[in-house]
Amino acid sequence: MIKLENVTKKYGDVHVLKDITLKIDEPGIYCLLGRNGAGKTTFLKSISGHQSITSGIIEVDSKKISTASLETGVSYIENFARHFNLPVKKLLDIASKVNPDYDYAFAFEMMERFELDGKKKFNQLSLGMKTMVSTIICLASNKKVILLDEPVLGFDAVMRVEFYEMLEESFQKHPRIIIVSTHIIEEIAKTIQKLIIIDKGTIRFFDTLQSIEAKAFRISGLKKDVETATQNLNIIGQDIIGGLATCYIFDTPPRNDSSLEIQLLSLQDFFIQMVGRRGGNQ
Amino acid sequence: MLTIYAIAKRMLSSNKISFIITAAVVLCATTSGSTGIALSNGNYTWLLALMAPFFVVFYDYAKLVHLGTSKRDYFIGSLVSYTLFAVLISFANTVIYLLIDPLNKTQTVINLIELCGWNANGIFIAFFQQTLFLLLVMIFLHVLLFMQPYWYGWLTDILLIAVICIFTPIAPLRRVLVGFFRLIMFNPSALLHSALCLFLSAALALGLLILKRKAS
Repeated sequence: MIKLENVTKKYGDVHVLKDITLKIDEPGIYCLLGRNGAGKTTFLKSISGHQSITSGIIEVDSKKISTASLETGVSYIENFARHFNLPVKKLLDIASKVNPDYDYAFAFEMMERFELDGKKKFNQLSLGMKTMVSTIICLASNKKVILLDEPVLGFDAVMRVEFYEMLEESFQKHPRIIIVSTHIIEEIAKTIQKLIIIDKGTIRFFDTLQSIEAKAFRISGLKKDVETATQNLNIIGQDIIGGLATCYIFDTPPRNDSSLEIQLLSLQDFFIQMVGRRGGNQ
Repeated sequence: MLTIYAIAKRMLSSNKISFIITAAVVLCATTSGSTGIALSNGNYTWLLALMAPFFVVFYDYAKLVHLGTSKRDYFIGSLVSYTLFAVLISFANTVIYLLIDPLNKTQTVINLIELCGWNANGIFIAFFQQTLFLLLVMIFLHVLLFMQPYWYGWLTDILLIAVICIFTPIAPLRRVLVGFFRLIMFNPSALLHSALCLFLSAALALGLLILKRKAS
């Protein structure tokens, strides 16, 4: 459904997206991870046709996407999105009128569940509530592709949990591609099907969480033992202190050796090793 | 159709400030009584046509897109709004021209309807010509404003400034410029004037889409 072929975006001499080729063909909730300035927003904006690209092709449902596309089938909401300063209920009502595919019942249900005051004007809401309104409108848009750019920014812990539940409910009701960019990895892990890691404008990882559970390991021990055990493995990071070494691998782990300590990598550690510039042959 | 209606309604309602400023200027503007010529207050209704595209482009666009409006619906909604604005402004100015301007018995009142010579074809045709001309102005402004974030917008600005700077002082080129304005504004033929305004409006609207496609 979403296809990117050799997509590059340059601002002057700076490459924000570097020759990205990616295919997302199954409906699901995808998490887009990346450090600040990694290219997440540019990546999402390019797919939604809000941002021009320097070269390459972007297709959504076999339809080429550019800033000139009049119908993209993509709903993108940025963090701190501005809306008309109208009461929330009126805003949801207008959204249902300007978008024929809009799911008003879902939007209204979510408004009640999150205890959003329908009479309160948009600018009077807290940052978290504003983001929630934007997210509800985006999810209720019923477009084939939903892109949420850092939606949990400004949410407290309770709101974040409720947001993940809303995401799942929305997906179950209308299965489609939902890409959520976030920094809080562990929390969203239960909700997502696949993870996309973007770093310095390139896609470093695109796979399921199960593959991380099966292949992401930390191997610690004496430097020479660790080096021998990880010789032909895909090392994503390395720490050396004196004669001791810790290798982070994304590969089939070596057989358990009493001289080595082999542990599963947490999602957060895996992400840090993938983009953390801590050495290794990545 | 309901979608376009909802978009146009939102565009009209987000132009409250333009309406208020225009109404205030129309009601408060005065010309010195010591001169023999007075400007009709109806002329100031055109201010709305100059302000509306700024709100439609810079205020409404992002917000409507965030609400799930497609770009296609936004463009159609803009055209519908501009048509409504043009009809409304033209109607207001025509009413002022017919009912208010004649009340000033001591001065010669100049209204743009008269200045452009549209009244020569009868008041209904003058209303129609004014509507189409205002529609053209608003679409031109919309296209110009919409292009501003892109390189081709800046290029157009430079070209427009260059045309004005070069064509104004050089007599043969000035004649070309005068000829152009004679065609779109002071055209004695109502039919030619209307057709030209409609053609240019359509060309500008389509031109923006083609330009965006080529440039993206």
